[in-house]
Amino acid sequence: MRKHLSNRGVATLTYLPAVKLAGVSKRYGDVTAVDYLDLEVKKGEILGLLGPNGSGKSTTIKMILGLVKPDSGSINVLGVNVEDDPVAVKRKVGYVPESPRIYEFLTGIEFLDFTGDVYGMAPEEKKKRIEEFVMALDLEGREGDIISSYSEGMKQKVVIISALMHKPELLLLDEPLSGLDPKSARIVKDLLRELASQGVTAIMSTHVLEIAQAMCDRIAIMYGGRLLALGTMKELRAKAKMPESGLEDIFLKLTGTGDIKPIVEALTK
Amino acid sequence: MSWKTVLRLVSVNVKASRMIRGEKFRRYRENKGVTYALYLLACALGLLVGWIVGNFFRGITDQALKNVILEGAANLFVTLPTVVLLYGLVFTQMSQIQRAGFKISIQPLYWLPITWEEHTVASVLANMLGVPLIITTFICSSILLASLFLGLVPLAVFTVFALLVSLFLASITTEAFKILQVRISGTVTKAAGRAAVWVRLIGSIIFFVVFYSVYFSLYYNVSPLTLIESVVSGQRMLWFIPYLWPGVALSAFASGFLFETFLFSFASLAFIYFLFRVAVNLNVRFGLYEAPSLKISRGVYAPKAGFLGKLGFSSLEAAIIRKDFKAFTRRYELMFIFIFPIIVIIMPILSTMRGSALPQTFSPFIFVYLTLLPGALMTVILGSIIVGSEGKGINYLFASPISAKSLIKAKYSFTTIFSLAVTLICSVVAGLLTVTSIQIAVIGFVEAVFLIFALAGVSLTFGIKGADFRELPPRPRMIEPIWSLVNLIVCLFVGLLIVAPLIPYGIMLIFEAGDWLAISLPLPEYYPYLALFVSGIIAIAIAFVFYKMALGNAEKLLLKAEV
Repeated sequence: MRKHLSNRGVATLTYLPAVKLAGVSKRYGDVTAVDYLDLEVKKGEILGLLGPNGSGKSTTIKMILGLVKPDSGSINVLGVNVEDDPVAVKRKVGYVPESPRIYEFLTGIEFLDFTGDVYGMAPEEKKKRIEEFVMALDLEGREGDIISSYSEGMKQKVVIISALMHKPELLLLDEPLSGLDPKSARIVKDLLRELASQGVTAIMSTHVLEIAQAMCDRIAIMYGGRLLALGTMKELRAKAKMPESGLEDIFLKLTGTGDIKPIVEALTK
Repeated sequence: MSWKTVLRLVSVNVKASRMIRGEKFRRYRENKGVTYALYLLACALGLLVGWIVGNFFRGITDQALKNVILEGAANLFVTLPTVVLLYGLVFTQMSQIQRAGFKISIQPLYWLPITWEEHTVASVLANMLGVPLIITTFICSSILLASLFLGLVPLAVFTVFALLVSLFLASITTEAFKILQVRISGTVTKAAGRAAVWVRLIGSIIFFVVFYSVYFSLYYNVSPLTLIESVVSGQRMLWFIPYLWPGVALSAFASGFLFETFLFSFASLAFIYFLFRVAVNLNVRFGLYEAPSLKISRGVYAPKAGFLGKLGFSSLEAAIIRKDFKAFTRRYELMFIFIFPIIVIIMPILSTMRGSALPQTFSPFIFVYLTLLPGALMTVILGSIIVGSEGKGINYLFASPISAKSLIKAKYSFTTIFSLAVTLICSVVAGLLTVTSIQIAVIGFVEAVFLIFALAGVSLTFGIKGADFRELPPRPRMIEPIWSLVNLIVCLFVGLLIVAPLIPYGIMLIFEAGDWLAISLPLPEYYPYLALFVSGIIAIAIAFVFYKMALGNAEKLLLKAEV
């Protein structure tokens, strides 16, 4: 929060956004992955990032984390310019990648121990957090097994724990609930809401529109690297002129992929 | 059994093997000419050799010499099935070793309507293809054409049949052994519990060392004539071993014993059928067997303060070092690294045991060789792959708050600590095997330490520059071949530069050791220490420069995380 005097001499409060993207573009050869994106995410907000495959969601998340360098524009995360100090940004962020690649030769607990050390957690805090999460996400009894023997859902749990255990200020979640069983998915969802109420910001990419509708304060719909729409459910309904509709219909209409009836008919012939 | 399905499965297996060898291909249908070119070439070469031998034989006028050659040829034919069996076993087993570290299944899709018999036959046939069949094609074509000139056509035809039977025997044995291997290692893993990692590591090292020792002795230490003599006499004595039955049948045929020929031919085929049933049944029982997961820890988790922390490493750096250590004890494809120093130690011991040991006066040189080489080799290899071995896991490091400085410090330290441990062990072994003075022992060990610190910087620099994070079969790539070569050349040059000041001292020792030399090289007593000091200065300078270069490369690597 920054306090300054306006030109009228009245003290006003300006809230610094947790994440600010200004004119960010990224191209891969002839393909424009992200096209002049402006986006602000408030502190304590859960922002849903929606869009069809190849719309630029994952690239946007990777640019926020500093994994991908934008061709133009600037990204500011929690008051730090990502290009200036990517390590400082990473220290404050918890990241769940789209396809987690973790060290499969380690056991679950060894990987979490490794993560705790990488984020500089104190041993006692690390122990406490690992035990809490392992118990909450039903990994108890398997935490000493080599990760290569885990199912995809169990690997996803390990990755989620590694993203949350160091108490990050910003969460970047790319399909975080993919592969999770209903109980664990519910725990993660509730946890995200609780963390948001404590001021943790989350940007979540997902294809499951029900989850986005239920969890996110605002939703950003991307298409072809551009931001098609941004707002609360109410604002999106108004924009799509579909006052009674759910997110799925709004999404399909805004992305121009709504007319699926002829496709289904052709497939069932 | 549908042979059409079998052939289709063989083609799938062949493509899988080619992928494992790292060949790139995009189209499913390929140029048959290219696919079969090697077989055709082997056939053509075989015919050429057969023609040359035949014409040479025809040109001989001395009947006695002709008889000797004919007898030798018949003996050679008789030995061939056993020779083919031996190399068939080695090559098919090598092919299985190649596949073992590769996780993606190359089994046919089990939910398709394929019988275990079809799968087993296809697997056995596919295993025969490549090098084993190319060599066999060469032998068959050469003996068939040569036999026309030698007048040994029936024996040659029977030999070809026996060779194919032997190759099939080798392949089917490997198939059965492969399934058993998975099952037995699974049982051992389960029984070993928390010690499974160490049991697997030590077991793999022992297996590789034994396998490569057999491989090297077969290819480098056995002369063809000795092999033929041993096989001819061995076959007759060991006729009761089923694997020798094709050779025994051939031997009986050559001697004109038709009943024995029929008996051992029939027995060979029956043994093949028996092995085939064994392989099929093993596949039925264990073909879908999943080895149990390794359980490393149980009970309450307690973070350790750690020895590395006391050495001044940050928790992040210590975490990376510990992770790398675990990788090298648990990742199958990295276990090969352990073999180099063992082979380097084993080879001189083997040569000593064969009675060709160097004179006692050369003992200090064996000591220096064993002290310097394994550690230096380990550093060169380890440093070059330590970053690339992260594979796809590098994405996790990219997403973590790791600075280039911490990454390099951790990787450099791991490389040097690991190589120093190897040097220490090898020095102890060398000390036990050789008789050397304290002075030479200390100089050798200190020089090894200098080499390790300098070469670690060099190989890490090129290891980052050429890091290849692709995890393609048969193993993660780790470093691009061109950078691996550059690294080897630079390391060789740097190694020589560091050792250079001590070379006059080495020459002086050679002159002193060799009574047959009337030359001496007078050097002052303090020379070795002065040379060691200079060598140390060179090593430190090189280590410093290359460490800085590695740091620069790591900064660039972390900046372009888009892999």
